[in-house]
Amino acid sequence: MTFLSALLAADTAKAAAPGAPSSGPLGDIIETFGNFGVDAPHLIIQLINFAILAFVLYRFAIKPALGQMEERNRLIEKGLADAQAATQRLAEAQKASDAKLNAAADEASKILADARTVAKAAIEASRAEAQAAQTEVIAKATAAIEADRVKMMNEVRGEVSRLVVETAAKVLEQNLDDSMRGRLNEAAVKQLAR
Amino acid sequence: MSAASVRAEAKRLLAMSLEDGVVSADLVGAVLAALTKSRASHQLRPLLRTYLANIRRELARGEARIEHAGPLATAEADAIAAHFSKLLGRTVRPVARRNDALLAGFRVRVGDDVTDLTASLRLANLAKSLS
Repeated sequence: MTFLSALLAADTAKAAAPGAPSSGPLGDIIETFGNFGVDAPHLIIQLINFAILAFVLYRFAIKPALGQMEERNRLIEKGLADAQAATQRLAEAQKASDAKLNAAADEASKILADARTVAKAAIEASRAEAQAAQTEVIAKATAAIEADRVKMMNEVRGEVSRLVVETAAKVLEQNLDDSMRGRLNEAAVKQLAR
Repeated sequence: MSAASVRAEAKRLLAMSLEDGVVSADLVGAVLAALTKSRASHQLRPLLRTYLANIRRELARGEARIEHAGPLATAEADAIAAHFSKLLGRTVRPVARRNDALLAGFRVRVGDDVTDLTASLRLANLAKSLS
């Protein structure tokens, strides 16, 4: 006989003798609960049944559910950590990208500045070259004009000289007679003798 | 005969043709007569050509060729020749020729030397200095 069946038997016997006095404080308590409608044996049995049910529920339902919840929590935490790491990596990538963009912008600015400098230098060189060529052309033209002027002056001078000499020769030829030529020859002989 | 030996032979013949430093017609005739007898004709031609050039040069060295405008008295020609004889240290005889294109004065050539005292030269120098 189990303990529960013994309690039920005692309860049944007490119910069969309602005029019998209660035995001890436990009996008083049970009687008090009985006066309030609480059947102690049934309560105990239900407590035991509840305990068994609670154990079974804990063992086969709550405990796996808690395990799954813990696994789920772990996965969620892992996901959150991964998300945080991803966010951090994203921030770092963004930072690196910004740095690269800044470097590229600086490089582009530098290249642009260099290109402007080179273009300016090329323009200046072309301008200087054109200026030099212009100066050279002007100098050559001036020299050619001067050479032409000198040549013309020489030609004019030569022509005038030739005309003067030819005229003088003709005048001498026409005006010199033998007596004058003879005197000139005599003077030349004296000049030779000196 | 080589050209050098021809020149040497012609020089030797010229020396034989001089009498008191002056070309003598008699000596030249004697040299030519001797040459025609002793040399073959094919050897004679270049030698005679060189000899002739030497004789001409020597004669020119002994002549004062005077080109003059207008009359030139014989005494003046002799005075010119005497001047060059004294200057060159050898006898120079005058050979005068009138050329009125010289306008006035005279030009004397002795050998390769020329002395010009003409009005035409002075006018040419004047034209050159003016141009």
